[in-house]
Amino acid sequence: MSIFSQSWAVIVMNIRSLPRRLWMSLAMVLASAVVVAVLLAFLAMAKGFEVTLQSAGAKDVAFFLRTGSAAELNSSVTRDQVNLIAEAPGIARSGNSPIVSPELYVIVDGIKKSSLTEANIPLRGLDPQGVELRQNFTLVAGRMFAPGTDELIVGEGILREFNGFDLGSEVRFGKYKWKVVGVFSTGGNVFESELWADAKVIQSLYNRGSTYQSVRAKLTPDADLEAIKAYLENDPRITQEVQTEEAYFAAQGKSLSYMAIFGRVISSVMAFGALAGALNTMYTSVADRAKEIATLRAIGFSHFSAFVGTMAEALVLALIGGIVGALSAFALFDGMNASTLGGSFTQVVFSFEMSPELVLQGVYLSLIIGFVSGFFPAWRAASVPVAVAFQGGR
Amino acid sequence: MKDLYLVYKNLTRKKMRLFLTSLAIFVAFLIFGAVTALQGALNSGIEMSADNRLVVVHKTNFTNPLPYAYVNKVQNIDGVHQVTHANWFGGYYQEPANQVITMAVDPDTYFDVYSELVVSPEQMAAWKANRAGVMVGERLAKVNNWKVGDQIPISSNIFSKKEGGHTWELKVEGIFGATDPQVDTGYMVFHYKYFMETQSWGGDNVGWLVLTTDDPAINEQVAKAIDETFANSQAETDTSTEKAFNKAFIEQIGNIGLIIFGVVFMAFFTILVVVGNTMVLAIRERTAEIAVLKTLGFSSPRIFRMILAESCLLSFLGGLLGLGAAYLAVDGASEFLARFLPNLVLDGSIALQALGYMLLLGLVTGIVPAISALRLNIISGFSKG
Repeated sequence: MSIFSQSWAVIVMNIRSLPRRLWMSLAMVLASAVVVAVLLAFLAMAKGFEVTLQSAGAKDVAFFLRTGSAAELNSSVTRDQVNLIAEAPGIARSGNSPIVSPELYVIVDGIKKSSLTEANIPLRGLDPQGVELRQNFTLVAGRMFAPGTDELIVGEGILREFNGFDLGSEVRFGKYKWKVVGVFSTGGNVFESELWADAKVIQSLYNRGSTYQSVRAKLTPDADLEAIKAYLENDPRITQEVQTEEAYFAAQGKSLSYMAIFGRVISSVMAFGALAGALNTMYTSVADRAKEIATLRAIGFSHFSAFVGTMAEALVLALIGGIVGALSAFALFDGMNASTLGGSFTQVVFSFEMSPELVLQGVYLSLIIGFVSGFFPAWRAASVPVAVAFQGGR
Repeated sequence: MKDLYLVYKNLTRKKMRLFLTSLAIFVAFLIFGAVTALQGALNSGIEMSADNRLVVVHKTNFTNPLPYAYVNKVQNIDGVHQVTHANWFGGYYQEPANQVITMAVDPDTYFDVYSELVVSPEQMAAWKANRAGVMVGERLAKVNNWKVGDQIPISSNIFSKKEGGHTWELKVEGIFGATDPQVDTGYMVFHYKYFMETQSWGGDNVGWLVLTTDDPAINEQVAKAIDETFANSQAETDTSTEKAFNKAFIEQIGNIGLIIFGVVFMAFFTILVVVGNTMVLAIRERTAEIAVLKTLGFSSPRIFRMILAESCLLSFLGGLLGLGAAYLAVDGASEFLARFLPNLVLDGSIALQALGYMLLLGLVTGIVPAISALRLNIISGFSKG
């Protein structure tokens, strides 16, 4: 018999005898499943947050903030500076006027559905040109706010996570009342966690004078960011710096990456616990089959086949656990809605996202658990002298 | 005594299994201790809030400023004991990523309202006398290795100085501690007046007001009186107890916290189930031996007790080591993480909870085999073996 058919015979035999050790085997599957599920829960959270922010940034939109402010929250731009920025090289024009969108926001309170407590929401002021700069913008219901009025439109994320923003309702922020006239979607990204209204109305209601916080500008296809940077630096009246919107949101998306790190640490520590359980299972399995193994060895099966048989059993059990863990994490967490404070000190509504790569990572982890927990018991199975094994083998 | 020796022998008969089972229990309690401490740190702001402290913020949102005139107006409202105020400075040290929580406060009242903060009278006097002085919290000082007398450059990601730049040179005049280790001392405060005079925007706004009432029982009444005073003004207010305010702030971080702790605790219990299963099986293997003990005249209750003792011993062996490791890990991490999570402590209540779970694990895993041993008929015990 070739070494392959030998090994195959042992593998089949081991796996068929699994029901005999049902509880121990289930324990190993469960241990492996839990470790994988925990890892994936954390990774899916970090991933979902990252995607929500990253997908908001466009490559061909320049984003201007006050130097050193890092986030929109701390930035400021005067009307004169907006006009200077609009004349920078590489900014696209429609007809004769540059496509720029000066924007500002005030943070207002909304009531979170999950906790019924107040949480920060950005009420962004912008004009129609700013709306056009958002890719995938669509009005899902109602209509656009009319400039110069106290009307606002609400993002789908806000509707999902907060109370009281239904179409047609009136909302009160401090002294002022606003009317919700529309619901918008931007394809699931962070803009859906915002309320939008006319910039000038917000400036006058919230004492902002003629200042804004950030400027977005459409770039021409051949625009050079370095040229814009040089232009900004050469004009002492400008105190802003530039980056692409894509770069800005990519950096913001990293702010929950500590979750992924935390998840990896927790699941690695937990993997040790699971490993201990799994090793116990496999040692029990080897002890349970000691006589069989000895018999096989006595009739001429190789050490190698005994080793492979036990190894395969461990890998199969761990893999089943990994798949169960990944599937249950997928069922429980994929698409789960959550919201947390983002870099702009306002709520970012996002969904957990379980991508295929993440599932693969979970499966790899389960295979590592299977390999380690199989190796040592398999070694024992292969190396116990036949005579000893026949005596009882424990 | 003989029983204990037997229990010990049973426990150590398979060294490998003993090691692996203890390791799994160890890991479970390590995670339990560390994560519960983490959760406690996140919630410490709620637990540490004083009963008679209220927070007054702008009704639209707490990031909007209030007029300075409100300070005196609120002080004159009935039932208000002492008012102080603070402004968020957006501070960082050297690198923007190196955030330092910095607030501009009123030096004469701030430490009266936050009476749990402790400063020596000499340092307090020195700080009040130096307008460009800063009072640094113990943990913050430790993280950055700042000493009294140090000159530290603190930059703001919000404000600029009148003479240009974003960096204020402040002198550490004092270091404040607290009466309880869970009180946050991971921040620093400097003079409001100096801040207002040196920053370029000017104005006379305060970020928020904090006040103590004469008696916690009148909190609600005082809060209502404050909000009514400013109703229909340019800046309406929203007054809540410090506890409610802190709780709402933690809720902002949101259900992700809830999800994480849910997941981790689920995992903790699953590990216990897995380990428990192993322990139950390990004792079941010995049915024949138990029959022998009974034949030798060991009474059933005695065997019952021995088995329970064995499972509890195992549970506490792994569990206590795990809890100890969690203590060391939390202790080590608290210095490393002091900047983000100032109040990381594994305290007595967490340890007590963990001990409870260890006992539970020991009893639950022991009770099934112990009962079956109690009922075991000698003859059937031998035939099974």
